[in-house]
Amino acid sequence: MSPGSRRRSGSGWGWWLLAAFLAWLVGYPLLITGGEALGGSAGWSLDYFGTFFSRSHEWLALWRSFWISALSVFFSALVGVPLGFLFERTDFPGRRILGALVALPVALPPLVGVIAFLFLYGESGFVPRAIQLALGLDQAPWRLQGPAAILLVHTYSMYVYFYLFTRAALARLDGSLLEAAANLGAGRWRTLVRVTLPMLRPALAGAALLTFMTSLASFSAPYLFGGSFRVMTTQIVASRLNGDVTMAQVETVMLAALAFVALGAMRLLDPGTELAGTVRGVAPSRRRLISPLARWATAGAGYVLAVVLLLPHATLLLISFVPAGTWTVEFLPPILGLENYGALVSRPDRLRPLVNSAWMAAAATAGALLLGFAAARGAVARRGKVGRLLESLVVLPWAIPGTVFAVALATTFSVDAPHLGRFLLVGTPWLLPLAYLLRDLPLTGRSALSGLRQLDPALEEASAVLGAGRWRTLRRVVLPMVRPALVAGAGLAFITALGDFVVSIVLYTLDTRPISIEILSSLRLQDTGLAAAYGVLLMLVSGAAFVLWGRDGGAA
Amino acid sequence: MSEEKRSFLSLEGLGKRFGDHEVLRAIDLDVGEGEVLALLGPSGSGKTTALRLLAGFEVPDSGRIRVGGEDVTGQPAAKRGFGMVFQHYALFPHLDVGANVAFGLETRGWSRERIAARVAEVLDLVGLTGFEARRPGEISGGQQQRVALARALAPEPKLLLLDEPLSNLDPSLRERTRRQLRQVVERVGITTVLVTHEQEEAFHLGDRVAVLHQGTLQQVGLPEELYERPRTRFVATFVGRAAALPGRLEGRDGEVGRVSLGAAGDGQSWSGALGETVEAGAAVELVVRPETLAFAPPGAAGGLGGRVVGRRFNGPITYYEVQPELQGLPELEVLADAGAAQVGDTVVVAPSGTGPAPRIFARPVEKTP
Amino acid sequence: MLALFTGLAGCGDGRTSVTVYSPHGRDLLELLEKAYEAKRPDIDVRWLDMGSQEVYDRVRFEAANPQADVWFGGPDTIFSRGAADGLLQPFRPSWADAVPADSQQADDLYFGVYLACPILVYNSAAVSAEEAPRDWDDLLDPRWRDEVIIRDPLASGTMRTVFGMILARSVAETGSEERGWQWLRRLDAQTKEYTLNPALLFEKLTRQEGLVSIWELTDILLLQRRGSPLEYRFATSGTPIIDDSIGLVANAPHADEARAFIEWVGGEEALSLVAREVFRLPARRDLPAESLPPWAQKVLAEMTPAQVDWDLIEENGARWMETWDQTVRAKGSESQDL
Repeated sequence: MSPGSRRRSGSGWGWWLLAAFLAWLVGYPLLITGGEALGGSAGWSLDYFGTFFSRSHEWLALWRSFWISALSVFFSALVGVPLGFLFERTDFPGRRILGALVALPVALPPLVGVIAFLFLYGESGFVPRAIQLALGLDQAPWRLQGPAAILLVHTYSMYVYFYLFTRAALARLDGSLLEAAANLGAGRWRTLVRVTLPMLRPALAGAALLTFMTSLASFSAPYLFGGSFRVMTTQIVASRLNGDVTMAQVETVMLAALAFVALGAMRLLDPGTELAGTVRGVAPSRRRLISPLARWATAGAGYVLAVVLLLPHATLLLISFVPAGTWTVEFLPPILGLENYGALVSRPDRLRPLVNSAWMAAAATAGALLLGFAAARGAVARRGKVGRLLESLVVLPWAIPGTVFAVALATTFSVDAPHLGRFLLVGTPWLLPLAYLLRDLPLTGRSALSGLRQLDPALEEASAVLGAGRWRTLRRVVLPMVRPALVAGAGLAFITALGDFVVSIVLYTLDTRPISIEILSSLRLQDTGLAAAYGVLLMLVSGAAFVLWGRDGGAA
Repeated sequence: MSEEKRSFLSLEGLGKRFGDHEVLRAIDLDVGEGEVLALLGPSGSGKTTALRLLAGFEVPDSGRIRVGGEDVTGQPAAKRGFGMVFQHYALFPHLDVGANVAFGLETRGWSRERIAARVAEVLDLVGLTGFEARRPGEISGGQQQRVALARALAPEPKLLLLDEPLSNLDPSLRERTRRQLRQVVERVGITTVLVTHEQEEAFHLGDRVAVLHQGTLQQVGLPEELYERPRTRFVATFVGRAAALPGRLEGRDGEVGRVSLGAAGDGQSWSGALGETVEAGAAVELVVRPETLAFAPPGAAGGLGGRVVGRRFNGPITYYEVQPELQGLPELEVLADAGAAQVGDTVVVAPSGTGPAPRIFARPVEKTP
Repeated sequence: MLALFTGLAGCGDGRTSVTVYSPHGRDLLELLEKAYEAKRPDIDVRWLDMGSQEVYDRVRFEAANPQADVWFGGPDTIFSRGAADGLLQPFRPSWADAVPADSQQADDLYFGVYLACPILVYNSAAVSAEEAPRDWDDLLDPRWRDEVIIRDPLASGTMRTVFGMILARSVAETGSEERGWQWLRRLDAQTKEYTLNPALLFEKLTRQEGLVSIWELTDILLLQRRGSPLEYRFATSGTPIIDDSIGLVANAPHADEARAFIEWVGGEEALSLVAREVFRLPARRDLPAESLPPWAQKVLAEMTPAQVDWDLIEENGARWMETWDQTVRAKGSESQDL
């Protein structure tokens, strides 16, 4: 019976209404797709599952998807969590700027980002060539191929989840708890293991979930670097390209099943119990590194790290200045020029995808913030069935690979049957922003959830006692308190939507053509330079968003 | 003092359950205008729930709450116009002290100047003039507590609720803060309900004290009444120091009974006041306070043999913990001079005849496993 | 920025739009858009550039609310799927009669406009014309071990066609697929990498991560124009020529305008324009030689069309690619597992 855990009864139907709305948007399309697939207009029956189970390479792909994702979580945590601690708990020169830079891998644009990796670490990339030159080897020291390459790219692009979530959670941590632990004679290591990490558990579980699901749905990296190393996403594409739509559907269902199992396991790890990590005391102060040597060493290491992390961005920038077909076997491109940017500016409609992406990402983020926050409020206020339902619905879009989710939306909203809750949205400009919104929901919802969970319920009660109604309490107390969490979630959501590729490719229309599709189209035309130029524009917008959020004092 | 004042706050048959657990059972309680009532009880007694029902954070399952004759039972917290100081103060960490205190004034449509003036006024009241621009994180725990009080008082509430207002302070600070709190509350003259598990706090701050145990109201009264004439065994043992000695009621003479000590009732015979109606021959407990006992010479009438097992020096007085020889008797405490005995001494303990008379209550039925 | 957006979002200039879904790429589409709009000021040609598989997926998803009018480009294998799913409606343009019979089918749902020619590709900066492979079989020469880089055949109609041709030949000449599979296994052993997309293929060939490949003529000609060192050669044993078709989308919102557009695309003027500017070889055989640019005349003179059992490929294509994917592709990869 912890005080504040129970709210006044009544108005519970509001939460049920919200849950129903979310279920309609998030769960219903999956049901429809599953039902139609099983029902057999496409004509697949359970036989196909038999076929699936009888083929060892299908199993192998599923198993690979699993362990690649699990290892991606492991390595991302290994990089992201210590970085989060470093930037949140110690103070050294340049901490603020570096802290923002370190989060930039999340803003590496799709497709071209992976290609930048290729230019950097691939067989004829800068790093291997440099090593080759330095050591006088006749062959490149390595080939960027197979699971190691996939894991490298995943770790690079996904540790940011751990980094941001760790920082946001540490910023909200009650400093007196750490002092209490120290009082009890716990050493630094013991405090970390016994107090800090358990307090971070909700945030870490959230990051792990995001990372796992993202790598489960990851496509570019396995396709580009996997070669014959097939994971489930590339297997699905192979089946589709081979015209075997039915097998592709079965494979999709199996991938979704794996995702659901993982989601269930994650719920066991983080059963949503509220650790009493409410903001009561004061956030722990940053430990100033006192010895100047330590300060500069940390700063130096931080800068080196930032350079390494920014290399792909720099590579992309470089490629964007290389006119098509001029860079062959040279170590550095022989000619640099503004041709690619000229091509962008010469036709104003070529900038339109950027505008499209920007407004859709902004609208989706705003909507996802609103819905995610409302659902999180419900999940915290009601710990019964509605609360759990709301919480599950919010994270559901992440449990489904992007392509599957997009196809489900396209299927559901390709019929005009309002009495069945289905509307004709396919081909209209509304479906893609809606899809972005739903894909963003777990990001905003989870961060709102962890923010609200750490909010002392007494603060809201204090506000109520002082005569503030619900709206005022929300505006004056709750929102300002959870703002760092919301800002972090919204930042990620915006950048995710801005750079989205997997959902876009299914749902875009002529009027909502996003920038990732433009990048793809440039790549199809063998115009790597132009694709890179688009990528750079995308980075600039993401970067601008980062700067804005960074100034907001949020962890992002 | 309170009895003469007319009742301002009244709880009528207030009950609350969480699932199967009945947290509060039909509480009836009246608080006079300007009175400070302390709700005292151990954790889990229901006192916090009672306060939350009062504040409007929970809705009672039965009963009503009236304030100044108005039924507020169904009213949301925001409409009640009460002030509250939370256990951890619940200061808004993102607002400075001034904004915290002004928070409750903002809905009133007052001019900025008027709000600022009122904020300065209440901050002055709690001795924090000039603290407006500080952040809650930048001031000490005692100052936070006073800001919380100022914030609660700023909108001139009808009723002030204090939830363990001193429990978050270290002991050195607690007494001074308690005095200041008492002064402020007296100066404002506001009807106050205070929840605490600390008897000293309840006695010092409360005009009257209401003792809660397992969701039931045990006794309401002045601190002296609770101490000297506890009406239940729980109050007798919870309020003040006391030992409950098992025995059998030999006989009674009006309100005075004689108890033969020991689980079997075959030991020394001591007398006490009957706290409740008990038949002669019944299994009872005699609740004795340390100051009513003294060391006696060996062979003294009613003397109870025992061994000193502990000694606590407490400045002007010293407590001795004595384990009686008699089978089934718990340790009891005796108040005596600092040099009266040493740990390990064999002693004889007898009633001294001073202090509040020991109380006799029916012995709780022991549950056989 | 906002003005730009609002200016672009509304197409309220009174023109009727024709929406084209096509894998032909920006160069060709922009060219045709300009030319057609100059000729028909009342029409606004809007196009979406995407992979040929995506065109099919997209038209299928949008079947309830079609956005596209014209399905422009893609091999028979994909058009036939679209036809089977009812995504196309019959329209027989006036130039259809000039298209060879095997580039047509009974329902008039789609017709070949261009021809795609799979060719042997090599990097002329590292391989001289004498050394370069002359026929498909030359790719199996030990000289090219680990120097072959090809596009992932599952994702490429060109590669599928070449592989299909190898297997179909095996069936035709020996009565069994076995010799063809052996050939493909040997090619796999020579192959250093299967790339995700053409861009990477060319990037890697240009940077000499590999030296020889199989690809399609048009792209190589476009690259050469931009100064690329990539060179090509027709296989001496014959080129399996692929039809690149056009069709009218079922329930197209602007069907009449779409018909006019299709009519124009297959007309002499447009065919000669794209042949000159973006290296597309017309499927029609009735065009006078002088209407074609020199490169096209040279191609028609040098290239030997391969005799291929297209029906056999159509029938077995999916099974063959699946078998290839499971049993031939990069053997020995299992060791990468945990």
